[in-house]
Amino acid sequence: MSDNLTRPLSMEREQKRLLQDVQSLEVKISVKNLCFFYDDHQALFDNTLDIFQNRVTAIIGPSGCGKSTHIRAYNRIYEMYRGYRATGEVWLDQENILSPSQDLIQLRKKVGMIFQKPTPFPISVFENVAYGLRLHFKMSRGELAAKVEDALKRAALWEEVKDKLDQSGLAFSGGQQQRLCIARAISVEPEVLLMDEPTSAIDPLATSKIEELIESLKQKYTIVIVTHNMQQAARISDFTAFFYEGHIVEFGATRQVFTNPAKKQTEDYITGRFG
Amino acid sequence: MKARSLFARRLSDYLIKILSALAALIAIFALGWILSVVVSRGVSAFNLDFFTKLPTPPGISGGGLANAILGTLLITALASLIGIPIGMLAGVYLAEFGLDRPFASMIRFAANVVMGMPSIIIGVFVYTLVVKPARHFSGYAGAIALAIIMLPLIARTSEDMLRLVPNSLRESALALGAPRWKVTLGVVFRSAKTGLITGALLALARISGETAPLLFTALNSSYWMRSPKEPTANLTVTIFNYAMSPYPDWKAKAWGASLLIMIAVLALSIFSRWIFREKKIRKG
Amino acid sequence: MPKLSPFQSRSALQNRADLAFRGITVFCATVLIIIMLAIFFELVRNSGLSIKKFGLGFLLSMAWNPVTQNFGALTSIFGTVVSTIIAMIIAVPLSIITALFLVELAPPILSRIVGIGVELLAAVPSIIYGMWGLFVFAPFMADHIQPALGKTLGFLPLFQGPPMGIGMLSAGIILALMIIPFICAVTRDVFQMVPAAVKEAGFGMGSTTWEVTRKVTIRYGFRGVIGACFLGLGRAVGETMAVTFVIGNDHRISASLFSAGNSIASTLANEFAEAAEPIYLSSLIELGLVLFLITFLIQIFAQLWLRRIAKGMGDRL
Repeated sequence: MSDNLTRPLSMEREQKRLLQDVQSLEVKISVKNLCFFYDDHQALFDNTLDIFQNRVTAIIGPSGCGKSTHIRAYNRIYEMYRGYRATGEVWLDQENILSPSQDLIQLRKKVGMIFQKPTPFPISVFENVAYGLRLHFKMSRGELAAKVEDALKRAALWEEVKDKLDQSGLAFSGGQQQRLCIARAISVEPEVLLMDEPTSAIDPLATSKIEELIESLKQKYTIVIVTHNMQQAARISDFTAFFYEGHIVEFGATRQVFTNPAKKQTEDYITGRFG
Repeated sequence: MKARSLFARRLSDYLIKILSALAALIAIFALGWILSVVVSRGVSAFNLDFFTKLPTPPGISGGGLANAILGTLLITALASLIGIPIGMLAGVYLAEFGLDRPFASMIRFAANVVMGMPSIIIGVFVYTLVVKPARHFSGYAGAIALAIIMLPLIARTSEDMLRLVPNSLRESALALGAPRWKVTLGVVFRSAKTGLITGALLALARISGETAPLLFTALNSSYWMRSPKEPTANLTVTIFNYAMSPYPDWKAKAWGASLLIMIAVLALSIFSRWIFREKKIRKG
Repeated sequence: MPKLSPFQSRSALQNRADLAFRGITVFCATVLIIIMLAIFFELVRNSGLSIKKFGLGFLLSMAWNPVTQNFGALTSIFGTVVSTIIAMIIAVPLSIITALFLVELAPPILSRIVGIGVELLAAVPSIIYGMWGLFVFAPFMADHIQPALGKTLGFLPLFQGPPMGIGMLSAGIILALMIIPFICAVTRDVFQMVPAAVKEAGFGMGSTTWEVTRKVTIRYGFRGVIGACFLGLGRAVGETMAVTFVIGNDHRISASLFSAGNSIASTLANEFAEAAEPIYLSSLIELGLVLFLITFLIQIFAQLWLRRIAKGMGDRL
């Protein structure tokens, strides 16, 4: 929340630039009228927004407002449980992934997910990163080792684990475990990365490392990050969607949402008047 | 590298899903098969004589298993009289006093060992301890064998149930000046009442169906029991003897006895689980 | 749970009743240890005659002749081991995938019904399994299954010989039925304890249900599943009545699964009441001692294993 509102001229130029930027961007995910239900209870109401390719989109809002539920529609992970259903359309490139004919395995290869609590499997570091590769591909041991190393490097974890690849994934600090999960997710070359409050269970130092990582990852991937930490959203995202009680109140370029929000509700939340 | 066949992965996933449903089906089918066989063959042996008359000499049809029914009831009751109090008090020790002490761990270990011991070994043990010195089989010996089987079961379940009672309850009673024994046998027991009863009923269900421990302790008999000091007729050993015999009438009676035992055991099991669930629901 | 001193409320001198109470409970608890030790000692003491006569050779001797009074444990041990192996081979995979069905695949109502069914299977007394086994299952095996096995796999010595119905294979199958509920119940609890987030991470990577189960759930709860298997193993080894009815009661060692045999428990059940001569009785009791030791060892391994799990409870099961 650094910029103030006392320079309207440069704001206009900023707006123009952002508009041009948006117009030149490709839409990776297009959500249209997404509604979500737990049994009879409705959690999401007509969500409509666009996620732009190779950009970081932050989803913010008070707890319980449906942020996590929303992104879980992008990889249909909710199908693990009974009684949950989604209506509407979620277009990933040219396909509506909510349609029953959508292959879930292929979808989850394209759309990776990082969870709030780091979830390394109870196997070695190497095996953790190799998990996805082994799942979807057949390759020689040498190829596998190369890909694992590559993923760990891209997740900025290689230096710390390169001679500890046989240790259990659970034997490391929270920040390292989370980067391990990121390495595991990106090893299969997804196109989208969903992050559900990835740093809320991590110490500040490790958090900033992961934020740097996200910044570098967006060159290759489209990133959607749910966060309750507004400063984080302001720091690292290009676009922000503000959720409240299952509705999208506002969506736009981060700069604009944080410095010149269109809705009063957004402004109240950002200035800390509630939530 | 090349992509792993999605088809193969989906196929094995699908196959396992089918297999697991089949496995569950097998379990239910087996249960149904056994139950239906016991009911159909057992019911045909049921008549008034079955429940009221003594067995006839071998080869002659007719008669009943009244003495065995009574014998089973008596031996089970005797065993409970010994096993339940001792078992519960052992559970009290573990939950109230022993807790994490090394001695308590030894007790738990011994309980697990005795619990895992084949019941026929318990029968052999009681034989060498009681029957051999006394030079005759007896209903008492049978009851002791069954009590030994009940003991660790009741001790462990009692301990678990008593541990569930929050310490604040004990503290409030003690703070009022009540002696420890009153607190335990009164307030704590009352709070854990349902769980304790469930544990006792489950142990009862377990020993009602036991045969091996009675084979060489209570043995069997064709007469009314005059005293538990003698060999005592009981249903389970009767089933064993009659089933292995060449007489169709006896085999039919074996099925009848099996049905009786089955009803008793299942009724006790289901009943105890039901009251336990009822309590859980009410407590919320 | 913080420890309460038994004498919290008043001075120890006034507490004779409480002292007596505590003493009684200690005594009742000690009874368990006494029983465990007493069983061991009594078995050893009464095996004395047989141990003196046959020595260690008892364990390796295939003889069993009440007439010449020459006894050996090998046939009985063989029967116990083989029937248990058959039971475990059948029961362990079936239990695991049944637990999988109950936890991951079945809708809640079905899961509950099947769950209750499996619990009831555990409550059925051993002698009922024996009755069903002898009069219903064995004829079924003799008429349908064994001839089919003989035709297709008869080139293996395992499936040769007359299809009598009773015998090692039938005993093993019934044993499997009896231990499935135990292994399944524990495995189900283990599967339910795996945190949802870890399973989600597995699915999130694009795994099928079986892949998540195999690579994540079972890995996570591996130790618990092994503990469950120990439980089943202990039960199978000591199971008496069901095996006695179906195993055929023949002291022999054969390569065929169709042949009759004897387990330690079935030998005891059949012959104990008629053993008149002291040496006969003593040999039987020595058999009992062997069974006691086998069961005891399994218990110790199981306890040690479970204790190791409890220690590592923080990060995995």
